[in-house]
This record gives sequence, C-alpha cells and structure tokens, in this order.
Amino acid sequence: MSRPRKDPRAARAAHRIAGGARPRFDLAAAPAPAGRPRRDPRAEERLALVPGTLRRRLDRAQRVAVASAMPPALPEAPEAAPRLRVIAEPAFLVAVVPDAPGGRLSAHDRQLFGAARMLADEGGGAVLAFVAQPGEDLGPAGADRVLALPVSGHDPEAKALALNAALAALDLRHVLFPESTDGGDLARRLAALSGEPFFAGAESLSPKAVTRAARGRRVEQRRVPPRLVNLAPDAVAPHAGTLHEALPVAFAFPQPSGGAVLSAEFIPADPAKVSLAEADFVVSAGNGVSDLDTFRALVAALNGTPGASRMLCDAGLMPRSAQVGASGTVLDARVYFALGIAGAPQHLQGVAKCEQVIAVNTDLHAAMIERAGLAIVADAQKVMPALLALLQQERQP
Amino acid sequence: MKIAVLLSAGRHPVSGRPAPVPVELQAIRLAVEIGRQFGGDVTGLHAGPELGPLTDALGHGLARLVHLHNEGESDPAPSLAAALAEGAYDLILAGRAGQGGEDSGLLPYTLARTLGLPIIADAAALALGEAPGTLGVEQALARGARRRLLVRLPALVTVHPAAPAPLPFAFAAARRGSSEARPGRHAPAPSPTVEERPYRPRPKLIAKAAAGSTALERLRAATEAASGGGRLLVDPAPEEAAREILAHLRALGLVTAR
Ligand SMILES: Cc1cc2nc3c(=O)[nH]c(=O)nc-3n(C[C@H](O)[C@H](O)[C@H](O)COP(=O)(O)OP(=O)(O)OC[C@H]3O[C@@H](n4cnc5c(N)ncnc54)[C@H](O)[C@@H]3O)c2cc1C
Repeated sequence: MSRPRKDPRAARAAHRIAGGARPRFDLAAAPAPAGRPRRDPRAEERLALVPGTLRRRLDRAQRVAVASAMPPALPEAPEAAPRLRVIAEPAFLVAVVPDAPGGRLSAHDRQLFGAARMLADEGGGAVLAFVAQPGEDLGPAGADRVLALPVSGHDPEAKALALNAALAALDLRHVLFPESTDGGDLARRLAALSGEPFFAGAESLSPKAVTRAARGRRVEQRRVPPRLVNLAPDAVAPHAGTLHEALPVAFAFPQPSGGAVLSAEFIPADPAKVSLAEADFVVSAGNGVSDLDTFRALVAALNGTPGASRMLCDAGLMPRSAQVGASGTVLDARVYFALGIAGAPQHLQGVAKCEQVIAVNTDLHAAMIERAGLAIVADAQKVMPALLALLQQERQP
Repeated sequence: MKIAVLLSAGRHPVSGRPAPVPVELQAIRLAVEIGRQFGGDVTGLHAGPELGPLTDALGHGLARLVHLHNEGESDPAPSLAAALAEGAYDLILAGRAGQGGEDSGLLPYTLARTLGLPIIADAAALALGEAPGTLGVEQALARGARRRLLVRLPALVTVHPAAPAPLPFAFAAARRGSSEARPGRHAPAPSPTVEERPYRPRPKLIAKAAAGSTALERLRAATEAASGGGRLLVDPAPEEAAREILAHLRALGLVTAR
C-alpha cells in the first residue's frame, strides 16, 4: 500500500484564500488535483453505453470516459515542413563522395549523408558533397555545400586526382565513400594517392569510433574515425528532419590528363540470368495465374526476372529458386509486378524493400492490392495477353 | 606475355586455418586462360614468412610459384613491388580483398601507385583487345550489370568473386608445379592504430522499425512499408489495364520505348 498519508492541516491550508488580515478558507472550492485523478466507474459506464439498443451494451473501446478524466491532451503539433538549416561559417568540412548513378542519390548514398551529418554536427562542421552532376536531392539529403567534379565519362583515376587536390587544399576532416564497386575503388585510389589513413568497409560509425570486420570476419577493428572512411550499406540511418542549403562552391581543380582506360561501355544485366536477390525488376505470378506460358512470354517481353509465390513453387509450376517471400528470396528490387498474388504476410515480407509495386488481382480486398502503387482489379488471364499484344504492337512499326 | 598473380596468406572463414583465398584462385583461372590464348606464362607471387597451403595454388593451374621470404610481421608491399618491377610483367592480377588478414583491399592500389601502373578493379572476365597491347576487362557492378573496359597494358587488375569458379584441384599438376624461394625485402609492418576485439555482428538498419503501438500496426509497418499511396482501377478493360501498366513502367524507366 503506497497511498500517501493524508495531512489534514495541509489539506485545509490548500483551501486558504490569499490576502486579507484574517485567515479565510473556501472549503467548497476544489483543490488543485494532486496525484492520480479519482475514477468514477459509473460515469465511465454511462459514457460507454451504446444508445439505441434493446439490450444494455457497453463499448469500452471508445475510451471516452478515461480520456475525460485525464488532463486535456496538448494540441497536436502541426506537421511542419522541414526546417532549413544554414551553416554559414563551418568549423570544418566533412566531405561525401556519393556514387549517385545517373545523378540520383541511391539509398546507400543517403545513409552516407546521414553519417556525414552526424560527424559534422558534432563540432559545428558542414557537409560538402562531391558529385559529377549536382541534383536537386542533395539539400534534403543533408548537404551544405556542393562541389562539381570536373569528370566526364568513366575515369576513376581523374576523379581520384581531383579529390586529392581538394583534400590537400580544403580543410576536410573526413571524406566518406560508399563501399560499392565504384565508391570502394575511388576510396582506395585516393588512399594510395594521398597516403592518408583509410578505414575500409566500416560497419558502424560514430564521432568517437568506427568498426569493421577483419581477419575473415573473426575480429572487429575499432578506432577513432580517420580521414578516409568507406561505409558499408545499412550501417547508418539516412539524414532526416532538416533541409540543408546545398550551396554550390567553386574550386580550381587541376586539369585532368588522359588515363589508361581507352574505352568504357556499360552492359546492363541480363534479367533472365540475374539471381532474384540481385534483380531490379521482378515479374511474379501467384495462384491466380493459370496460363504460365503466357506469363513466361510476358516476363521475357518486359525484360524482367521471373518470380512466384509459394503456391506455384509448391505445385512445381515454377522452380523453388523463383520463390519470393520469407521462406524464399527477400527481394532488393526497385519494381515488383504481382499477377494473381493475394499478398500473404510471408509473401509481403519478401517485397518489403521494393519501392514500387504493381498488382493485378480479381479481389479488391487482397493485401497485395492495398500495398500496390498501381492496383488493377481485373483478371490476370486477360490482362497478360493484352499487355503482350500491346508490347508486340509497339515493337512492329 | 608475362602474367603475375598475387597470392595472400588467407584463412578459412569457418575453421580459421590457413587456406588460399578463393578469389585469388579465380584470378589464377583468368590468368591461365588469358595465358593460353596469348601464349604467356603465369607466375604466382607471395611475400610472407612461409608458403603453407598456398602450394595448393599449383594444383589449381598455376605452373610456377615464387615465395619472397620475409621474417615474421613485415609489410609485403616493398617485396612485391621490387619483384614485380624486376619481372616486368605485362599483367598483374590480385584478389579484390584478402581473407584472414587486414582484408581492406588496399595493397593492389599501393602497389599500382609504386609501380606507376593503371589499376582496374573487380574484373569478372578478361579478353584480348583488338589492338596489340590492350586488354578487355569486364567489370562486375551491382545487380549483375557489367562494364566493359579497354585498357592499355601493362596494368594491374583485381578480380571479383563473380569471375568463373577456380579450376578444380589436380594432384598431378600440384606435383608438377615448381616453387622457388627468394629473399624478400624486409620492411617493418606499420604499427597498428586499431584496437581489436572478437567480432560481433552489428544489427542492420531496418527501414521502418517499430512504428505504431499494436502488434497489428507493427506487422503492417513490417510488411506494407512504403505503400505506394497508389491508384486503383476497378474492372478496367484488359486493353486499358495493359496501357496503364505500360505507362507506369515507362514512367519508372523500365520498359524503353522503341
Ligand atoms: C511458414 C510459412 C512460410 C511461407 N513462406 C512463403 C514465402 O516465402 N513466399 C510465399 O509466397 N508464400 C509463403 N507462404 C505461403 C503464404 O502464406 C500464402 O499461402 C501464399 O503466399 C499464397 O500464394 P498466392 O497469393 O499465390 O495464392 P492464393 O492465396 O491462392 O491467392 C491467389 C490470389 O489470386 C487472385 N486471383 C485468382 N484468380 C485470379 C485471376 N484470374 N486473375 C487475377 N487474380 C486472380 C485471388 O483473388 C487471390 O488473391 C508461407 C506460409 C507459411 C505457413
């Protein structure tokens, strides 16, 4: 029993009216509530009573009574637009070199900006982004300054030389790279060129320490963040909340000279050969698809990677390697096209990372329809040939 | 044409015992196949205190192995740089990162810098260039994409795990192959600046963790993440549905208009 002991003198003193020569008490006034308010079960029941029913029915889920007994809730803060934060005179700079394929930041690049903001905000620094083509998404991602790299085409050596010049001239406390094919290559080139301490594949990062796996992932190495850090994917959360100005700045980069790479040509992945986990665009069939030949023709025509729900894999209509979901493959695709799939939780787990979902289903209330960005309530058996015919027709002239 | 393959002292990821690094065995295969077309010879180079299980590399197609003998903890880069400069190799292959040591993948870059060679990362396939003295390198990118580069030789190329699997081990080839020991150049290893402790896997970031209060809401957040906030078409004609889907895919940049 931990009820506080009543003090009658203090209770009486709470009713005392201030001022006046003689002490006066207003015993009828309710004293300021102290501690937990008293419940009135009868009033709660009266409020929970559902009117207009023959039998007495209480709907306690309304929770009106309890709410009325509570002190009035604070008004909800209005959803504010992200605030612009200007760092006019930064103490130092933290540089980020995102991959930004095609000028658009990838999810990994945004995490890189999150890490840079964390390092910069520790001591009043600013984030400087080195990009080939400055885009509009740098400000929301967390860049204060933007420097355009004077590089055309695929020339990592020229990029590394330009970065080395900037590293020597500007007060860059850290330079962050993504641990991807191009980012990792560039980081190591710069490390070899400048001789600065380099930390490869950081798996966690804070202003005090970075860690990475070494010796065949048996040992964790840890140190204070050095100048060059290469960050693994999904290690740091992307920046959110404030908007930054992404001010373009100028820097006199040295003239690039011709490298050893004579030509570079990008070859897109062959979707028929790529594994499901790596695929960018997955076209998937469920129990609602009975004509699998048309489905396969459609996948080939759309240039996608074929997937399936567990129902089809269990029935042996599609290979097990094509199964999408919790017990199959968790996709990393950008776009998912689901034909006749109900959207069981086990299946949706496999699609959780997809940015865009398109669903065709006969059932308006299927979970897949709810998840989809473009949902079409129609018979997949009729939509598939129509889509094929349309693709064929566009290919003719 | 002279080809060198750099071999590092690896450790098996599960047992922790000394073992060759798989991606370096893949590099041997690429080197042997290029050597067969060009009529070149392939040499393996290792700098370290002992060869140990690296003699297995001879069974995976390597004909000659040179061991640059170093005492204890010493930096392999100067020994390798000296041997590579002396051998005047046209093509030097290395793994993308070691397995069992520092594993940072920085050594090929420092070597390329000291030797003044261009470096190409993450090769999945090699081919001869049309012009003499050039090499076609197929670079492995994310999501199964490739980039085909043409480089002038001599060059240093690192190999990606997406390259073809190593040649199978043959006992007779391992017996036939020769290994030769040479004194290396001793250079003290840089003093460690890192603190080491047993590895502990870190939790990966999850896009939208624990949103909402009830179990149902958390399940929704886990499964229905970015709901497209999308468009719903109820019972359209199949042709109209097809047109809509195609327009949507085009907007996402997937199906190119021909
Ligand atoms: C432990 C466990 C693990 C599991 N793991 C997975 C997993 O990894 N992956 C997975 O996919 N499943 C998994 N499942 C199974 C999952 O629960 C569902 O049973 C399965 O996903 C349902 O597949 P479906 O949507 O294709 O079939 P159904 O549930 O039969 O749905 C078919 C859908 O197609 C629609 N439809 C019917 N006819 C048409 C038509 N002509 N045109 C258009 N639409 C039509 C229907 O309206 C319905 O929505 C798992 C289950 C368990 C118990």
